[in-house]
Amino acid sequence: MQGASPRPAARAVDLGKVYGEGDAAVEALRGVTIDFASGRFTAIMGPSGSGKSTLLHCMAGLDAPTSGRVFIGDVDLTTLSEKQLTRLRRDKVGFIFQAYNLVPTLTAEENITLPMDIARARPERDWFDTVVDTIGLRDRLRHRPSELSGGQQQRVASARALMSRPEIVYADEPTGNLDSRSGSELLAFLRDAVKEHGQTLVMVTHDPTAAGHADHVVFLEDGAVVDEMEEPTAERVLDRMKSLEA
Amino acid sequence: MWRATLKSLLARKVRLALTALAVVLGVGFVAGTYVLTDTLDKAFDELFTTTTAGVDVVVQAKSAFTPVEGGGGGGGQERNPVPEGVARRIEAIGGVQRVVGDVAGYAQIVDPRTGKAITTAGAPTLGANWDPLTGLVLRRGRAPTGPGEMAVDAGTAGKYDLAVGDRVQVLFQGPSGEFTISGIVGVGELDNLLGATLSVFDTETAQRVLGRQGEFDTVNVVARPGVSPIQLRNAVAAALPKGFEVLTGADAATQSAEQLRQGLGFLRTALLVFGFVSLFVGAFIIFNTFSIIVAQRTRELGLLRALGASRRQVMVSVMGEAVAIGLAASAVGIGAGVLIAVGLQALLRLVGVELPSTATQVLPRTFVVSLVIGTVVTFVASVIPARRASRVAPVQALREEGAPPGGSLRRRIAIGFAVTGLGLAALLTGLFGGGSHAAQLVGLGAAMVFLGVAILSPLVARRIAGWLGAPLRRLSFSGKMGRENSMRNPRRTAATAAALMIGLGLVTFVAVFAASLRSSASAALDETLRADFIVSSSQFQPFSAQVARDLAARPELGVVSPFRQGEIRVGGRTDFVAGVDPSTIAAVAAVDVAGGSLHSLGDGALLVYRGVARSHGWKTGDTVTVEFAKSGKRKFTIGGIFTDNRLLNNYVVSLPVYQRNFAGQLDMIVFVKARKGVPIDRARRAVDQVAAKYPNVEVNDQASFKARQAGFINRFLALVSALLGLAILIALFGIVNTLGLSIFERTRELGLLRAVGMSRRQVKRMIRWEAVIIAVLGALLGVVIGVLFGWTMQRALADQGISRFALPVGTLVAYVILAGFAGVLAAILPARRAARLNILEAIAYE
Repeated sequence: MQGASPRPAARAVDLGKVYGEGDAAVEALRGVTIDFASGRFTAIMGPSGSGKSTLLHCMAGLDAPTSGRVFIGDVDLTTLSEKQLTRLRRDKVGFIFQAYNLVPTLTAEENITLPMDIARARPERDWFDTVVDTIGLRDRLRHRPSELSGGQQQRVASARALMSRPEIVYADEPTGNLDSRSGSELLAFLRDAVKEHGQTLVMVTHDPTAAGHADHVVFLEDGAVVDEMEEPTAERVLDRMKSLEA
Repeated sequence: MWRATLKSLLARKVRLALTALAVVLGVGFVAGTYVLTDTLDKAFDELFTTTTAGVDVVVQAKSAFTPVEGGGGGGGQERNPVPEGVARRIEAIGGVQRVVGDVAGYAQIVDPRTGKAITTAGAPTLGANWDPLTGLVLRRGRAPTGPGEMAVDAGTAGKYDLAVGDRVQVLFQGPSGEFTISGIVGVGELDNLLGATLSVFDTETAQRVLGRQGEFDTVNVVARPGVSPIQLRNAVAAALPKGFEVLTGADAATQSAEQLRQGLGFLRTALLVFGFVSLFVGAFIIFNTFSIIVAQRTRELGLLRALGASRRQVMVSVMGEAVAIGLAASAVGIGAGVLIAVGLQALLRLVGVELPSTATQVLPRTFVVSLVIGTVVTFVASVIPARRASRVAPVQALREEGAPPGGSLRRRIAIGFAVTGLGLAALLTGLFGGGSHAAQLVGLGAAMVFLGVAILSPLVARRIAGWLGAPLRRLSFSGKMGRENSMRNPRRTAATAAALMIGLGLVTFVAVFAASLRSSASAALDETLRADFIVSSSQFQPFSAQVARDLAARPELGVVSPFRQGEIRVGGRTDFVAGVDPSTIAAVAAVDVAGGSLHSLGDGALLVYRGVARSHGWKTGDTVTVEFAKSGKRKFTIGGIFTDNRLLNNYVVSLPVYQRNFAGQLDMIVFVKARKGVPIDRARRAVDQVAAKYPNVEVNDQASFKARQAGFINRFLALVSALLGLAILIALFGIVNTLGLSIFERTRELGLLRAVGMSRRQVKRMIRWEAVIIAVLGALLGVVIGVLFGWTMQRALADQGISRFALPVGTLVAYVILAGFAGVLAAILPARRAARLNILEAIAYE
C-alpha cells in the first residue's frame, strides 16, 4: 500500500482506543488503519458515536491511543513524551475546532500568529499576507474575537492553522456552528488552500455537503473504517450515509 | 451537563474553603489575643494571691497615682518608705500576731562566668529581703543571714548555673557588693517572678544595699487567730497617722495585679488592631470570591429566576451562604485562636518568662466577640455580590456571555471619592485635632481611605497592569498572555490587588514612620547634644547614680551631667519630667530657653517646652501645680520656656527637686565631656575604666549612640511588620483564590492554547506573570498610600520630636519586589492546576 502512492502526511496503523475499564469499557476505535495522502483534502464521515472525533484526537496527538501506532510524517506519536507531543502539535499540526477557536484577549492578527508566538518564531511576512488576503480579513486584523462574526472567527482560526505551514491540518466540524453561506465560504477557502498551496487537510464532519468539498471521504462506523470514496459529491455521500444509518 | 454542574460545585467547595481561611485566620488572631491576655490576667491574679497568701494586712505609704512606666527608679512603685517606728507601733495593736517589714529595689546580679550583668526580657531585676510571707520558698541551701549572704531565684540559678556556695557580684543604686549564695528560692511553685531576677538578703542587709536603712517599703501584718483581715485592717488604719495606706492582703494582691493588667490591656488592644486589619483584608477576599462566583453562576441564577425564584430569594440564598461560611469559619477560627494562644505561652516560657500554670482561659466573651465579628464581616462583604446576583434577569439563563458589567462608572467614581474624602477627613481630624477618640478616628479614617482607593482602583487597574506588564510583552509569549489576562477584568484584578494593598500600605507606613523616627532622632542628637560620651544601660533601664559620681572624680573629664526621668501628672495628664544638674547640663545640651536658662534653674522652678506652654497658655513666671506619685501636689514657678523637646522632655526640673519628689534615684543617662586639652581617646579610656566596674552600663560616642537608637527602632519595625504579615498572607490567599476562579473560567481557552502547542511550562509561566502583575499592582498602590500616611503622621507629630520626614526608598523598592515574588508563590497551585488541565475535556463541547 505504502509503495505505490506518494508518502502519506499522516497514517494510523491498527489504531485502537478503549475508554474506561472492565464492564464499563467502551471501544471507541477498533483497529483503524488509514493513510492521509499528502496535499489532499480528506473528510472523515460517520454517524455520531462512530469514533470520528476520537480518531482525529488520536491522530493529532491530543489523545493517547490504547493500541496501534500513529505517524505524522515519519514520527511515531505513540513514542513521544508529553513535551514532544506539545512541540509536535505546535510545529507540525494545525487545528480548526468547531467553536471557541480563538483567544479572547488577543486580536485577530495575534490569534493567527499564535503558534509561532508560542514557539517564539518570526512569522513569514509574505506567507502571512497571502493567508490573510485569502481569508479576506485584512481590515479586521486589529479586532478582538468578540468583534467578529462566527464565520469571520472560523476564517481567522483557519488562517492560524495554515500559518505555520504544518504537515497536516485537522478540522473538527469547522462549519458546525455556521450558517450555510458562511459554511460554504469557509470550505471553499480550505479547498483553495489544499489546491494552491498543497496543504494536507483532514476534516471530521457529519454534513454531506461539507464532505462534498473533499478529494476523498472515509466512512467510519462503530470505530472501524467501513468505506472510502474518491471525488465525492454531496449527493453520493448522502446516499452512502443513508445506507450506513439504515 | 450533570457532570459539569457537579464539577463546578466541587471546584467551588475548594474556593469557599480558601475564602473561609481568610476569616479563620483573622478570627483566630482575635480569639487568640483574647485567650492569651485572659489567661495571663488570670495567671497574674493567682500569682499575686500566692505572694500575699500569708498576709492579712499590708501597710504602705500613699501614692498619688500609679506611674505607667514604673516611675523614677524603674524599680516598681513610687512611694515613700515606711519608717521602722511605724512597724513597731503596729506590733502593739490588738489582734496583731506578727509584723514583717519588706524592702524591694534594684539589684542586678553579675554573671560570674562572663562578668556581664544578667539582664531579662523586660522584667525587672529585683532585690528583696527574705520574707516567707511573700510566697518565697527555699528550694536548696538555707535562708541568707548576715551581710555577706544572699539567695537567688531558681530560674536565674538554673539559667546561669549558679549554685549554693558561689560568690557573685550584685549591682545596686549605691556601691555594688559581693555575696555568697546561701540558698536557691522559688516563688510558690514557680522558679521566678514573671521573668524577673531576684536577689534575696536578710532584712538588715537588704535595707542597706537597697538604700532603705531604718525603713521599709511595705509592712506585712498577720492577724491573730479569730481576727478577720478586715477587722485587722480597720484596727491598723485607725492607729496610724495620715499618709499611710492600709489594705487587706487580697486588696493588695489586686492592686499589684492592676499595674500588670494595664500593661496587658495595652497589649490586648495592640494585638486586636492587627486582628482587625487581617479581618478587613479578609473582607476583600470574601467580597471578591463571591463576586466572581456570582458572575460565573449567572446562567444558573438566570435559570432559577426563570423557574420562578424571586429576586429576594436569590439574594437571600447568596447571603445565607455567606453567613454559613462566616459562622463555620469563625468557629474554626476560635479553635485556631486557642492553639495560637497556647503556642504563644509556650514561646514566652521559652524566652524565660515563667508563667503560673493556669488553665487556658476561654471566656464566653471570646466566643461571642469572635463569632459575631467573623460572621458580620463575612456577611457585610457578601451584600454587594448578593445584590448583584439578585439583578440577574431570567433571560440571562439563555445567553452565552457571562456577567453584566455591573454598576455605572460615574457612580463608582462618586462613591469612591466620597469614601476616600471622608476617610481623609477623619484621618486628619484624628491626627491634628487630637481629642479623646483620636486613635479611633485615625483607624477609621485609614480603613475608609483603603476602601475608597479600592473602589476607585478598577478605573486605573487596567492601565497600570498594562504598564507594569509592558516589558513582559517582549520578554516572552507567556509574559504577554499573563499581562493580557491581568488586564481583561480590571474589577477582579483591582479587588484582588486591593487586599494586598492594605497590608503593604500599613507595612510601608510603619517603614516610613520608622525611617522618619530614625532620621529625627539622629538629627536631634546632632543638633542638641554636645557630649563626647553618652553613658547608659544596655536596655535603657536606669542605673546607679554612683556611675556619675565615679566619672566626676576622673581628672580627664570636664563635664559629667546626669539625666533622670520620671512620670508626673499635670492637669490630670501624665507626662515625663527630666531631672538635670543645672550647673552642667548647659554644657552638653544645646537647648534655647526663653525667659531663663538651664543654668539658672532653681529649686522652686520648672522649665516647660514651648508647645506645652502654648497649649496651656503659660508664660514665664506663672505658677503651675505638678503632681508626683510619691510626694503629691507641688507648686512650681515657670522659670523659662524652651524651644526644643527632642533631648529633654516636656518638663525639666533640677536634680534636687527630682530627689525630693521621686523615690527611685537612678540615672537614665550620663552625658560626659572631656576636659579641655585632654585628648579624646584618653578621656574615653577614663570613661571605659569607670564603666568596667558597672557591667550593666555601656559607653557610646554620639555616632554609636545613634546607631543604637536606630537598632531599637529597627526592632520595633521588624515586630510590627511581622504582625502585619498575617494580613499580607491573607491577601496572598486572595490571589490564589482569584487565579483559581479565573482559570476555572478560562478552561476552554487554556485547552485551546495547549492544543495549538503551548507547553505546560508556558502555561505555568503565564499564570505566574498574571499573579506577579496583580501583586505588584497591589504593592504599588499600598506603597503610595503608606508613604502618604507616613508623611501625614510625621507632620502631625513634628512637634513631638519627629521633626524629619525620611523615605526609605531601598526598603520600599524591596517591598515591591518581594510582593512580586509573593505573587509567584501564590501562583504555584493555580498554575499547576492550569498546566495539568485535560485538553480533550477542555475543548469538548456538549
